Amino acid sequence: MPTHTPFAVPTLPSEPGPTADTASQLDIAGDLLSLLRCTTTEPRPDIQLEALTLAVAADLPVLLWGEPGIGKTAALTQLAAALDLPLTTVIASVHEPSDFSGLPIVGDDPAEQGVPMAPPDWAVRLVRAGRGLLFLDELSTAPPAVQAALLRLVLERRIGALQLPPGVRIVAAANPRSSAADGWELSPPLANRFVHLRWTHDHEVVVRGLGGTWPRATLPRLVPERLSEAVDFARRAVCTMLAARPELTHQLPNSETRRGGPWPSPRSWEMSLRLIAFATASGVSREVLSLLVRGTVGDGPGLELLAGLDRLDLPDPEVLLADPTAAELPQRGDLRQAVLDGVVAAVRARPGKVRWDAAWALLVRALETGAPDLVVVPATTLASLRRDDWDVPTEIENLAGVVTLSRRADEAAARAKEATRTAARARR
Amino acid sequence: MSAPSLDYDKLFTARLQAARARPYLATALFALHAVESRHVPTMGVDRYWRCYVSPRFVERTPVEELAGVWVHEVSHLLRDHHGRSDRVAEERGLTGPGERLRMNIAADCEINDDAFGDGLVKPAGAVEPALLGLPTGQLMEDYLRRFQLGSRTLELAWLDCGSGADGLEREWELGPDGAHGLSEQERDAVRFRVAQGITGRPGSAPEGWQRWAEEAFHPPQPWRALLGAAVRSAASAPGAGEDYSYGRPSRRSAGVPGAVLPSLRRRPPYVSVIIDTSGSVSDTELGSALLEVAAISRAVGGRRDLVTVVPCDAAARIAHPLCRAEGIPLLGGGGTDLRTGFAKALRGHPGPDVIVVLTDGQTPWPDSRPPCRTVVGLFPRQHRHSGWDEDDPDYVPDTPPDWARVVHIG
Repeated sequence: MPTHTPFAVPTLPSEPGPTADTASQLDIAGDLLSLLRCTTTEPRPDIQLEALTLAVAADLPVLLWGEPGIGKTAALTQLAAALDLPLTTVIASVHEPSDFSGLPIVGDDPAEQGVPMAPPDWAVRLVRAGRGLLFLDELSTAPPAVQAALLRLVLERRIGALQLPPGVRIVAAANPRSSAADGWELSPPLANRFVHLRWTHDHEVVVRGLGGTWPRATLPRLVPERLSEAVDFARRAVCTMLAARPELTHQLPNSETRRGGPWPSPRSWEMSLRLIAFATASGVSREVLSLLVRGTVGDGPGLELLAGLDRLDLPDPEVLLADPTAAELPQRGDLRQAVLDGVVAAVRARPGKVRWDAAWALLVRALETGAPDLVVVPATTLASLRRDDWDVPTEIENLAGVVTLSRRADEAAARAKEATRTAARARR
Repeated sequence: MSAPSLDYDKLFTARLQAARARPYLATALFALHAVESRHVPTMGVDRYWRCYVSPRFVERTPVEELAGVWVHEVSHLLRDHHGRSDRVAEERGLTGPGERLRMNIAADCEINDDAFGDGLVKPAGAVEPALLGLPTGQLMEDYLRRFQLGSRTLELAWLDCGSGADGLEREWELGPDGAHGLSEQERDAVRFRVAQGITGRPGSAPEGWQRWAEEAFHPPQPWRALLGAAVRSAASAPGAGEDYSYGRPSRRSAGVPGAVLPSLRRRPPYVSVIIDTSGSVSDTELGSALLEVAAISRAVGGRRDLVTVVPCDAAARIAHPLCRAEGIPLLGGGGTDLRTGFAKALRGHPGPDVIVVLTDGQTPWPDSRPPCRTVVGLFPRQHRHSGWDEDDPDYVPDTPPDWARVVHIG
């Protein structure tokens, strides 16, 4: 419907009045804006988004560390859409402690009925919906008292008298210390409750996204048949590791560089266990699991746990000894040597002629399928395990090349020693 | 003459010798996957831990020199030279193949100044800092600042250790999708295992590698940021600085009649800086650290009159002019014993919320925790063994106590 203002009669038909002009210009601006908003997505592997999704699925609070303006909020919006959860954003730094612990409301008879702590409206709406993604932004610039109030929210999922339903997931974001000039640092108890993920931008993704196509991460899918197997695996991984390294069970961050970041404690180990189970059940890559575990217990303990997982993946020496002809040895040299060392150690632990022969057969197989220098140390050790009444197996002939190789390396080492000695003399 | 095929036996003999000479690098050496290549002049690595080897180079090089090259190439990967090159290129805006060549040379200098000797021969043509007239013991980033391509580097133009050394992908490399590459997690795992092997058996590896092992997964952060965070957090934690208090009701109280809500109050923190130098800290270092503390305490709401400096002996000469310029009130000088500095700082009225101690650590510490937060800025000792006393070889200087937050400066 065209609108007419009787007071502003246009002098020329080609020049519309100011009001009509403004209205139509705003309409056109709206059209332009909606065109700009019209973008598509494409599937693209993105391990940080996969890690975020998996941690959210495992119902662990995630903390995204990233410079301002690199799209943390955008990622959260996308995640909420992908999980079909309504997104509630709360800027932690502009709130007061009472916004998270509840506002005291004085009733008729406080002495008799007490003072209830009333929750803020967003919490009420979240509880009423029963599900949602709660995004606590600007966590590191919240004053210490607000952080203390948030501790209860993240830890016990309580806001005042309200209990957040299980369908609500919590994600927080913080700016790293280097860019938060006026920020506080995260207290160790609050830091220990989160899975820390470093959020970085991928230049290619940004350029392609500004061109109109943003990445769409494929969400990891849990396979129902693998659930109990995944729990067994996760428990075995964490318990084996902590049984061997009890000092890693609880380590408060002691150096300045590690403050505010992830650190190992029984709580964060339990979180790791849960993440391994989820990663195993959904079959996500080791890369994603690595980000998550290192973000939960810290780099050192996390890497040690992952190294343990790698060892769990290696073939069992007893299985290899039982049937050396069918043995599948890892391609990677360092892993292969670890397996061969394990086999020799197994023979040493429980010696026997049959096992000794089987080990030789394995070494020959290793020589035929990979680099010869890896076989030298296991072969030397195995030879030293020989008992007087054990005949040398015929396979050893195949290892003659290894002996030559070892001898040539010795000769080269002697020449190197001589050369360095000469060089040292010359310098003097 | 047709090109020879790669003599794998010779190549692996050399790797075995390298692993025997440097047992702590064995895991990393064995994790490398050798790929025959006619594009590399000698040997080169990519960031996925593949090692490209020229058959002709293997043919003409003695085994003991090849062993040195193995260690050299694996050092590029362990020291993350490709990642550091990328970062330095971005930070300093270094583009172009010439810059990447400089990075390769700088990385070579970082490795070669302590890689050889002790059972390992220096390969012919290995670049050493002395060749460019540079001191040894520096990091790649430092070397990079100190030389330009010129007549001295002309003969190095053929030098090519692959993208593993300088971050620049080569056309002939197999890339991320090729066979036998290590994923980022696998690379970290190998580097971690090597680092763990070195820190687990200190003494077997030279100092350069031990330093690498300590910092491989915890790179040192700039001390300014750390000191700032420590002072800021100490000055603003509950009990001091900006926080909620019931001293004055919140303006929100109007909405909830009858309830008393706390409000955000800013109480400026009192900061005392105790300086103890005992003559071993340079004036510039001390001056910049003191300025830093003053700037930080101002940023957290402290006023000039709330920052006091308690100088101990030698430090007075720097502290005085600096504080005059900054308008910071000075408390009198004192002995070299830090405990007297603590006592003096705590005698002030009102007592400080935060004590910042700038020291080289060669001092006795108070026996009990002071009634305020303490941040210690620890200067490195100028002489590596100055903690060792000729008259008393058993003397070990006290480390800062547990209740203090310690930031290593410099």
